Order: sequence, then structure tokens, then C-alpha cells
Amino acid sequence: MNRICPNFCKVELFFSLLKSNLHTTGPQQAWAKSDLPKTFLTFNKKIYPPQEIGEEPRPAFVCHQKTNIKYSPEKLWYVASLVRGMTVDEAVKQLSFVNKKGAVFVKEAILEAQKLAVTEHNVEFKSNLWIAESFSGKGMVIKGIRRHARGRIGEVRYQYSHYFVRLEEGKPPEDYYKRNPLTPQQQLDKWLESMRKRKITNSY
Amino acid sequence: MANSILTKISPLWKLPSSTLIQPSRSTTSKHFNPKYKKHRAQKYLKIDLPDMNEDESKLTPEKMRQKMKERGLMPPRPWMERPFYISATGGVFEGYVPPEGDGKASLVSTTRAKQTVQLLEKKSKSMMAIRKIKSYEEDFDSKEFCQEAQNIYIKAHESLANNDKYALRKYVTEKAYPEFRHNSFLKTIRWKFLDSLEPPRVVHARCTDIISKENIFAQVTVRFHTRQQLAVYDRFGRLIHGSEIVAKDVLEYIVFEKHLSNLYGTWRVHDKIIPDWAPPKDPSKLTRLKPEPEPVSVVVEEEVEQPAIADK
Repeated sequence: MNRICPNFCKVELFFSLLKSNLHTTGPQQAWAKSDLPKTFLTFNKKIYPPQEIGEEPRPAFVCHQKTNIKYSPEKLWYVASLVRGMTVDEAVKQLSFVNKKGAVFVKEAILEAQKLAVTEHNVEFKSNLWIAESFSGKGMVIKGIRRHARGRIGEVRYQYSHYFVRLEEGKPPEDYYKRNPLTPQQQLDKWLESMRKRKITNSY
Repeated sequence: MANSILTKISPLWKLPSSTLIQPSRSTTSKHFNPKYKKHRAQKYLKIDLPDMNEDESKLTPEKMRQKMKERGLMPPRPWMERPFYISATGGVFEGYVPPEGDGKASLVSTTRAKQTVQLLEKKSKSMMAIRKIKSYEEDFDSKEFCQEAQNIYIKAHESLANNDKYALRKYVTEKAYPEFRHNSFLKTIRWKFLDSLEPPRVVHARCTDIISKENIFAQVTVRFHTRQQLAVYDRFGRLIHGSEIVAKDVLEYIVFEKHLSNLYGTWRVHDKIIPDWAPPKDPSKLTRLKPEPEPVSVVVEEEVEQPAIADK
């Protein structure tokens, strides 16, 4: 990430007068703590107990994040939800037709994660991955100002967001969002069953 | 408050005429005349938003310098130091050459016979070295040392399997430490020492002084013929090497080192001698796609005709 100055615009910008005269930016020091999200990446370091002989091999996974994207986390969420439960190839194909700024970042993150999975996490085939988790998070917010009538001022929020993705080895679930839990025949059967279960009150 | 509920409810907003005459606006907070667009923009104070994902490696040195000047940063101090560790040597001196077919071949083969003769010649040097070690360590006995060496060997491997970095430092020199830990990150190692097929024995010993005459290091090579079990699992618990049910015969030549001049020096595992005739390693259980070869760019040398220089 930007080692020179991740923090330098955290300071709220007040009036332009103040801004021009005061040195409000603190340079990022080598010993300063990074405020990037770090919990999600720790899952990459979790070691699972060895499996018994004959047990089904545990699917590999890789967690990846893209931090401080200049995009609203709320808008990014829509793109993130779109690719959830898709295979990697399908997601990349879909994202290249999404006419949103966030789609570029999400696509980049997925491709990076795919590369990581193959090089570092013992995944054999790069197409054999699906998107198990995909969500956005709130990054830093720079507050700007705007003028209102009658000498008032308003606050403008320039938001940054994080994107998190977890790729898992294997085939994606049939119906990730449970959109069609029942086939038409099953729906009919269910309806028939419920009809037959009706009871006339005060009867046996 | 132009966007408040009141304005939205009021019938004025719902007048159909304006929408029919000109392209409609969905919001009421903007003036229909585009000339005010500039004025609206002036309401916002322009600020420079940082690009947090900027690739620093792609910046030109001039651009980098400009950026650091803007922020009042000093250029990083160059790292001109080179760390040295002086309580362990960086290699094996006059390493042991294991006889061919050791542990398997009969003693009668020609190469073996030649090597035994050579070994006898070299033995005198080892005797000298052992005498030197005895001058520093009075109760050094090569037979007792073999047992001690085996303990060190077992403890070193156990601490590696337990991922105990601090214990490993006690049994392994600074040279061998990275070699031990190499490729063991995020892996589970199950190692078991079953038994010795042959009692361990000292096959080689050497002493050297480094820098000054008194600064003496001793290296003793011990031959181990043992049975061991090894299984390595990756992060997800999947077996990637060896097996937990198969025991293997292992013939190893381990170099132990001690800093004799150091009062608190200890015998530690320093290196392993791998003979040329050692059987090839087992292939990895992990399979992966072969990476495509990088396209070879053929540079066509163009013959540049030298402009004829007119003689003067």
C-alpha cells in the first residue's frame, strides 16, 4: 500500500484559510501502525489438523483483500453480492460486462486471489475455484466541505472501501442464494399436500 | 431543503407540462439551465484525494522526489551494514566423502576396496582432530559422543516437528537453522524416530582456526543408520509427503559442530552430507500444472550500414 502517506488526509479539512496556513498533515512514520484490515488475512495462516487416511480431502481456500478503493462501500456491495457463489471463470466473465467502477476492482481482486491460490495454497487447477465469500467494508473517509446558503457549511464525505474475497476449491453449490429451492413438480406436490392436510373445524 | 418531502408532495412538482416540453430532470435541486452547473460546482471546496493503491515501484525517481518534498519526508537511510555471526562457521571444511554403496554393497567391490584404503589414509587426520578436541574438552570420547549426537539429532527433529523455534536453536547451528526451517512454514510435520539399525559411529573429525589461532571450531561427522517415520501435511491437513504408517531406513551423515574456544559452546547439528550416489528423492505428492514457457523473444540483429566517411 501507500507507505508514504495513508494517514495524511485523515485530518478534517476546515476552512481554506486554516488549510493554507497550518501544516495539518502528519507524514506516515515507519513505526506508525497500519490501520488496514488484518483479521481477514489471518485465516490464510490457520493450520488445520491432519486428515485420516480415506477421509475426503479438505478443500483449499484463499482469502484476499483489496484495501482503500476510492469507491463507496454501499455501491461496492452490489457488485460483491453479484459474484457470490459463482465459479471464478463465470464471475470474471460476468464482471467484465458490469458497467460499474466497482466491477473493475472486484475483478482484479478475484484474479489476484486466483493467482495466490495456485502459487501459495496448493490449488492445482485455477479454474476449480468458486467464490465462497465476497463482501465490502468501509475504509477511510475524508471529510470535505461545501458551501450552503446563509453562510452555512455542509460536510462532504469522500469514502474509501475495502473488498474481501474468499475463493474455495471445488464446485460451487447448485443454488447459492436459494432462489429456486423447489422444482415445479415439488412445488405442486407441496401444494397438494397442504391442501390435503386441511381440516374442517369441529370434525374428526 | 429543496429535496424535502414537502416539495415532492406539492402539486407544483407534478406538473406535466414541463416534462412534456423539455427533457425532464429527475431531481429538483438542480437548475434546468446548464450555465449554473459551474456555479454549483464552485460550492464544493476542491481537495486532493490520495490514491491509496498507487504503485510506488512504477514512479520515476523524479516523481518520487517531488512527492517526498511535498510531504516533507527525508529519503530513507541506505542500509550499509552486513551482519556477521562468528560463533558458527558457514560451511563444512574438508567434508567427509561417504564410501559408495554404504549400508548396502558388499565390502569386496573394487570401488569399495579403493575407498577403504583412502579412508585409512585420512584416518590419521581425524585422529589428530579428535586429539585437539580432547585438549579442549577433556572427557570427550567418540563412543559416548555418538549417543550424545543421537540425542541432539532426535531433539532437533522433534523441536522442528513441534514448531518450537527456541528449542531448535539449542540443537542446530545458525547455518543449519534456515535449512531446517526451509519449507516448513504453515505445515504440520509428524516425525518419529523408531530405532537404530546400526549403532551410530564417528566417521570423520576436523578442526580449523578462523581469523586467529585460538579461535577453533571442531566438526565431527557421525553416521546414523536408523528407521524413521515422516509425514508432512499442508495447511489444510492434506498429506503432501511421506506417510504415517510406512517406516523408512535412513542412512545419514550428520556434521556436528562446536565452537571449542567458546567456554559455553555446545555440539549442534551443522550440516548433512548427501553423497552423489544417494537415491533420488521421492516425487512430490502435490501435482500442479506445468507453467507455460515464457515466450522467447528472438532478437534479430540488424546490420547497420556504416555511413561512408569521405576521405579528407
